Amino acid sequence: MAGTLIAILTLTVLGLPLALLLDRSARGPLLLGSSFLDGSGAVFLLLLLLSILHIPWTLLSVAVAALLFWVAAWAGLRVRDARAPAPPGLSPQPRFHWTDLATLITLAGYGIYATAASLWEWDFWAIWALKARVFLEHGGIDWRFLESPWNSFAHPDYPLLLPLNFDFIALVSGSWSDRWLGFFFIALGLALLLIARSLVAAESTPFVAGLMTFALTTIAVSRYVGLSEGAMIAFGGAAVLFLRRAMLLEEPAAWRHGAVMLGFAANCKNEGLALLVAVGLAMLLSEPRRWRRLFRLWPAIALALPWLLLRATHVLATDIAGGSVSDRLLSRMHIAPQILTFLSARLDEPGFWVAILAAVLIAPAALRRRESFVLLATAIQLLFYIGSYFATPHDIRWHVATSWSRLTGQVAVPITYSAIIMLADLVFARKNAPHAEARSEQP
Amino acid sequence: MMSRSPRQLLAALCLIALVVLRAEPRLMRLPFGGREKLTRGFAGYADRTWPEYPRFLQGVMTHTTPGDRVAIVVPAMRWDGGYSYAYYRASYFLPGRIVLPLVDSQDRMHPENFQAATCVAAWRSNFPQARSRVAWSGEGGVLLRR
Repeated sequence: MAGTLIAILTLTVLGLPLALLLDRSARGPLLLGSSFLDGSGAVFLLLLLLSILHIPWTLLSVAVAALLFWVAAWAGLRVRDARAPAPPGLSPQPRFHWTDLATLITLAGYGIYATAASLWEWDFWAIWALKARVFLEHGGIDWRFLESPWNSFAHPDYPLLLPLNFDFIALVSGSWSDRWLGFFFIALGLALLLIARSLVAAESTPFVAGLMTFALTTIAVSRYVGLSEGAMIAFGGAAVLFLRRAMLLEEPAAWRHGAVMLGFAANCKNEGLALLVAVGLAMLLSEPRRWRRLFRLWPAIALALPWLLLRATHVLATDIAGGSVSDRLLSRMHIAPQILTFLSARLDEPGFWVAILAAVLIAPAALRRRESFVLLATAIQLLFYIGSYFATPHDIRWHVATSWSRLTGQVAVPITYSAIIMLADLVFARKNAPHAEARSEQP
Repeated sequence: MMSRSPRQLLAALCLIALVVLRAEPRLMRLPFGGREKLTRGFAGYADRTWPEYPRFLQGVMTHTTPGDRVAIVVPAMRWDGGYSYAYYRASYFLPGRIVLPLVDSQDRMHPENFQAATCVAAWRSNFPQARSRVAWSGEGGVLLRR
């Protein structure tokens, strides 16, 4: 247990200068949450780099690489700060509210759930942890393992942020253990909540911020402990929330945070790559005349590229793209109503999604316009997911049954944030919102 | 008291519904008890069908070396009848070894993997030991080196 906790602390310390490089005014919960996520992403990149350079992973080699990275990031900070003083912080520090008690109790409950036993999910030990164990034994990414046709069950094309973070924890701990990896998933959810809490505090009252944080808690943490869903929710959710702020306020730090988180999300799951495209399309559709803002996503593309190139070089096939995708798509068009009916029947927590839809319908057009980026990004991402069921080479019913609840959970945080902020604006009619810089006029 | 428009009332109801629907009473109860039950439930969940199998694989791990090619033999030699679990689980417990399945997802046998294996890990199976030597036995199985 101590090894896992030390590793999480190390990730946070490692990410601290990176978070400050992206946003020199970041403080408090925003800085803490961003530091952990940036540290997790940085460790993935460091282990990937060591593997590409054929430097075996040992505690020493990884510690030296991490130290070099950390010193370089701090040096970058010093140079930048010497050139220009830090701008005033844009986010007021969140204040504790009594509603936070409910959030803390829920988080404590999740902590108990996530660490109740050695991680138990099939996909944990057959995909994510399997790769981590194989790579740890190999001392780097084992391309022979990934390229073997007998290991296609482990989805060799999946991005490696999570397995490489597992490896970092194992290196810090001194050996592999799946007993306390649940702490890593608590940290992921907590990081996203800290970021969301800071962002909502900048545009609403402590009461609304408390309500929002409580409502987000059970979707910011993944019930599928050990799977990359937790990482995808954290990085993808933080990315969309930061980019929402960036779109509304044209805030450079939010652009940087958002683009980097989006790039790391693309290294969590293939859905993260889809999210990158969905975010780009949503930006374009929500404000077509400002299409040049797409260039601000360059860090996301730069972060996604290494794994894309590596998996192309090693010809790691994606199961869903196997065979003729277009043939499968066309052949299933005539059963589209049945597929959509099945998806709606298997929708996890339908009451929640009905409430989200109701919130969108109740909100005035001006509020919907303000939230159009998040609404569009979520809708496009869901369309990608639904499209994947039409293209799947697997039995559709099996595929839906084993993935639909996980996929809808991945997009729940940003849409819930937008829904609650729209409803709160309407209910409280702005009069108790001290930081309304993110708002457009309501009718 | 400030008057509310119907839209505001609807919004208030929707806001309450969203917050209430996101509450997880089971998680909120956990800090006040129930951890032991949860631990019991999850502790053996991954190996609920064959609880002894991981201990056998740990023994195989101890008695093989990196690079060994290990074929897996279990009572269920049909993919969906338990072989997929046995093969995947062996891959997890035997990192550094090349785990070879003898059956694929279409239930086709793969004798070429048997030929290529340097070891056979046979669990709860009466596997013929001719032309092999027993490298280790225990936990309901035997590791044969060829």
